[in-house]
Amino acid sequence: MLLETKHLTKRFGNKIAVNALDLRITRGSFTALLGPNGAGKSTTMNMLIGLSRPTAGTIIYDHHAKLGVVFQGSVLDNCLTVRENLQIRADQYHHVPADRVATLSQQLGLTNFMQQRYGTLSGGQKRRVDIARALLNDPDVLFLDEPTTGLDIQTRHAIWTLIQRLQRDRQLTVILTTHYLDEADNADHVVVIDHGCVLAQGTAAEIKIRYAADILTVTTPDVAQLIAQVALQPTHQTRSQVTFRLATMQAALDILTMNRPLISNFEFRPGTLDDAFLALTGKEMR
Amino acid sequence: MLAMIKRNLLLYFRDRSGVFFSLLGALISFILYLVFLKQNMLTSWQRVPHAKLLLDTWLIGGTLSITGITTTLTSLSLMVNDKEKHVTADLELTDAGPFRLFTSYLCSATIIGTLMQAVMLIIMWGNFYLTDGVTLGSSTVGKVLGLMVISSLLATMVNAVIISGVHAVNTLNKLGTIVGTAAGFLVGTYMPIGILPTFAQDLVKFVPGSYVAALYRQYLMAGNLKTAFAGNWIARTHFEQLMGVRLNWSTLLTHPETYRIMGLILIGATALAFGPVWVRLHRQHQSIQER
Repeated sequence: MLLETKHLTKRFGNKIAVNALDLRITRGSFTALLGPNGAGKSTTMNMLIGLSRPTAGTIIYDHHAKLGVVFQGSVLDNCLTVRENLQIRADQYHHVPADRVATLSQQLGLTNFMQQRYGTLSGGQKRRVDIARALLNDPDVLFLDEPTTGLDIQTRHAIWTLIQRLQRDRQLTVILTTHYLDEADNADHVVVIDHGCVLAQGTAAEIKIRYAADILTVTTPDVAQLIAQVALQPTHQTRSQVTFRLATMQAALDILTMNRPLISNFEFRPGTLDDAFLALTGKEMR
Repeated sequence: MLAMIKRNLLLYFRDRSGVFFSLLGALISFILYLVFLKQNMLTSWQRVPHAKLLLDTWLIGGTLSITGITTTLTSLSLMVNDKEKHVTADLELTDAGPFRLFTSYLCSATIIGTLMQAVMLIIMWGNFYLTDGVTLGSSTVGKVLGLMVISSLLATMVNAVIISGVHAVNTLNKLGTIVGTAAGFLVGTYMPIGILPTFAQDLVKFVPGSYVAALYRQYLMAGNLKTAFAGNWIARTHFEQLMGVRLNWSTLLTHPETYRIMGLILIGATALAFGPVWVRLHRQHQSIQER
């Protein structure tokens, strides 16, 4: 176990931002903290990296774990070049080899804009530099706080591939917060948080099975009769279509075979992480 | 720490317009003096020999003190900016630690304050050399350069204490405007301290910059004071008190006394500036355990 929290709690006045959070992160794993805005993701991360002090509870790291952090916003200097930014940060660590900046810029594909000022880079280039900065001290754990927010799909994919490659090649433990569900889908371990509490955790597949209903939509010439023959309440109906939410695919097959003569067409969609997320956190906007 | 100081200096000097306006803020008292005050003050001191040279060097002293205050404040605004933009959070993840980070901001502010005072000295001296023939001996210049370092160190510490409660750049900018405007009066540059009402005179004595201005004037005006008031001690003392060359506690402060007071202010400000960092450092420790 690389990192463990026990009853991690953070209170701001009367408001509880993180409520008795128990996390277990294994070495080399990829964990996604998933939650709506204001769920307590960033507060949790700030405590894990030591920037804010928990009100109660403990955080235990395996001996001397080195941390790398990619913050939500840019923390590098716009007026300095990429090279200056990285070199200045590198010089603030004790044991960073002299060629570290050059090596990282090669590996992360920054060589073309090393002399350019950070402020003039595109969003995707900036993020790559931010990641390079987080890797300067060759960390054991890489924290990323919503690393792809505000980027276009192509860039998101590129950043995502990069993070996965880093995890694989360097045996890096990755912990990221996100509200993009497709990103969490790729993680080994998904922790769904809301109001500072863990609502569910496991692999994306496990969470989907447990919390996301499958959706069956049936097109029929006789809506009334179909509804009468199925024991389940439909979640939605129009003049020609009826929609059911089902716990398993088997239930859908039963409905389809038993009412075969009534069905002119159907669509079956397995539950997604979106469904699980909405089922867990509700549809209310924050 | 050297890397951080380099960063702070790069950020300050790469912002050309920022440097320009920082200098302009200090130049303002100089320009105001030339346009509005010089003639008036010369008229009232026309019986004093070398009045022109005395007044020119008097102004240089006051302006250098203001420069120290305003430029170090501008430079320290980077610290507030970093806090606001969470850059500090990133910097504190490195091996540098809060203590060294804070020190690096203070060092770079002191360096910037010293350099900017040197630039101001060159501008003002150059101008007065051309118009009034002001000359300064090499030993005077040496002493003045040394005082520049002390002046910026003191201004940096005092400013660091003032801004320790400021967390937003917006607030700091407003504070900067107030300090910039008030500094000229508070260190007795726009008006000689002697013609101010008693309350204002006492107020001036509470401002560290006044002692810096007094020391600058003692160095810069020494030669001209000697020739202007040859042997006439009463007139000289009166002039020194009126113009803030020596500040009046129960008696007029001597040169070493002024230095001692500045030293005490410096120690006090250093303690006040570092105190909160020290407290925070000790509280933040040990929230994360290691196996």
